[in-house]
Amino acid sequence: MQLAVNIVVLASIYALICCGYVLIYRVSRVLSLAHGELMMLGAYGLYATASLFGGHPVLAVAAAGTLAFCVGIVVYAALMWRMTGESVLAAVLATIALGILLRGAMILVFGTQTQYPLRDLGWSNASLAVGSARISAVGLALVLATALTYGALFAFLRGTRWGIRMRAAGQNPLLAAQRGIGLHGVYALAWGLATFTGGMAGMLIACDAGLEGTLVVIGLKAFPAALVGGLDSLAGALVGSLVVSAAEVLLIHYVDPLLSDVVPFVVLLAMLAVRPWGLFGTREELDRV
Amino acid sequence: MRKTLWSIVLALLPIVAAAQDAYVIGVSGAMTGPVAPNYAPVVEAMKAYLEHLNGRGGVNGKPVRVVVLDDQAQPSRAATNAKQLLAQDKVVMLLNASLSSTYAPMIAEAKRAGVPLYFAGAVCPKETYPPADPLQFCSTAFGANLDSQAALGFVKAHAREPVKIGFQAMAIPIARAEIDYAEGLAKTLGMTPVEKQISPPPAPDYTPFATKLKEAEPNWVWSWSPWVSQVRTFEALRRLGWNGRYITWAHLNAEDELARIRDGEFYVIGTNAFMEDNLPVHAEMRAIAARTKLDYPVSYLTEGFVAGFVVEAALRNTAWPPTPQKVLAAMNNLKVDLKGLRGGPLEWTKDNHFRTRQYYRVWRWDPASNRVVRAQDWQAIDVKR
Repeated sequence: MQLAVNIVVLASIYALICCGYVLIYRVSRVLSLAHGELMMLGAYGLYATASLFGGHPVLAVAAAGTLAFCVGIVVYAALMWRMTGESVLAAVLATIALGILLRGAMILVFGTQTQYPLRDLGWSNASLAVGSARISAVGLALVLATALTYGALFAFLRGTRWGIRMRAAGQNPLLAAQRGIGLHGVYALAWGLATFTGGMAGMLIACDAGLEGTLVVIGLKAFPAALVGGLDSLAGALVGSLVVSAAEVLLIHYVDPLLSDVVPFVVLLAMLAVRPWGLFGTREELDRV
Repeated sequence: MRKTLWSIVLALLPIVAAAQDAYVIGVSGAMTGPVAPNYAPVVEAMKAYLEHLNGRGGVNGKPVRVVVLDDQAQPSRAATNAKQLLAQDKVVMLLNASLSSTYAPMIAEAKRAGVPLYFAGAVCPKETYPPADPLQFCSTAFGANLDSQAALGFVKAHAREPVKIGFQAMAIPIARAEIDYAEGLAKTLGMTPVEKQISPPPAPDYTPFATKLKEAEPNWVWSWSPWVSQVRTFEALRRLGWNGRYITWAHLNAEDELARIRDGEFYVIGTNAFMEDNLPVHAEMRAIAARTKLDYPVSYLTEGFVAGFVVEAALRNTAWPPTPQKVLAAMNNLKVDLKGLRGGPLEWTKDNHFRTRQYYRVWRWDPASNRVVRAQDWQAIDVKR
């Protein structure tokens, strides 16, 4: 039972992070390699708002979420819109540069000490019983946040005008533009949502384990899960995260904990050999890349 | 063109003159990057102490100039830094405050130039233990094998029942080697090693590692790793309902962390005094930290002040004008009064560049008095190997 809970929590972490990779790639075909840094920026946003709105934790969380969304829009408006129409490689390189810039800026502004946003919010990470297993309060929040995020995104993409525009822009940007869809608005929204979900993952991980520079690396560790599921599929990101985390947790438990670092990439290599476009990815889209 | 060249030369003259009129030491440290929290406070505190010393007349009437270069824990940057410090700044002593992967290029450069290399805040290389490499020195608190001897000695002395011990380490070579050593040592002390968990740096969730550890039902766990790995595993164990006792290494942030975690059965073992001791030197540290507006809490600065005292003592024994050879001679026969920041003086001899005696204390959080308390006072181990 405990193993199942561990798998679900780890899968939720990966899935929430993957969401951002998939949203941006699905809509604009850009692979954001600054996602780890944006995730960490979201966590630092919570740290800042927790200090700013001392005694009002809900307000602090809401402000941090809004801030993360706005950061995504600003990133698109200030940098990524210039990449529209340029080669995909140029856009990817721009995200790498953005990541380096953000990392340096965060050290300058927030320093290198470990921070504990959960403590600053005045909350504690209690241990809860789930049958015979146990889960931390933040772990449970991660699972719920992931379920809510994916549910909301599925509903948004299928049932709202902006969601349908996003899907159209992802499928055929030229045709979508000719039909009057403002591509810049759609791309900006995708960056905003991706940074919001990534930021939320960063906030929850920071609440569980503290906020420090290694959060960026965790952002990259989720990347194989997105590739396994298929980089342009949200459902794929969910399943990919579950596959990778199950392999990781089971190998830690039954074989050797040292394998946990390698296993996501072993699964990824196996997937690339058998089905390079991932479990739920679109074949022809990946061929173009 | 000639005019421009002359103006550059004239502009540089005061800098060269100033450099020649000071003891110049060079530091390559991980000042930024993911591991910076372990090293940057050491460098900042040492620099602050030496600047404070300069304000009081310097060493032997000369100021100490500290050149700090950031290597971000990358070997290639450390090599470039060492070259720059030796060739351009003409330092008489090189310092390393970074990951062990930066050691090889710095050692190579130090050897080529015949300049002593002092590890401050960085893991002591085995070459500093007796019989020591002629050029390498170390004052960093933790010491491989000695720490496990001290920690398991504490466990044995304080165990209420037969010890079933678990081990935890991060997947980096030095931590794994130490935990392997501890596992063997535990058997010789009559303990039963039940599980060993090695987690990667960093893990998004430590619960899967803690689950395996908990299932082995240890009543003690010894962890020797970077702080994040030590404490996240402990916290995950507690959330899984484990109620045994956990002993781990007291890194720079240990005192603050004990107060954050507030668990009476979470012990930290280390060689540096805590601010809780409230020694006269702590008042001096607080004053210097406040004056120089250091970014870190004062409790993080002990290791850096130890390094500052060591540099001061070495340079005080170096007659003017300083050369690397004179500094080396001074370092080979050094006894530094650490003013209570450790259990005794730090002593280097020609064969021992680590220290002749290592002193350990153990602390824990006392829920009854709601403060950090000593679980064991200074215990000395002679360094002979």
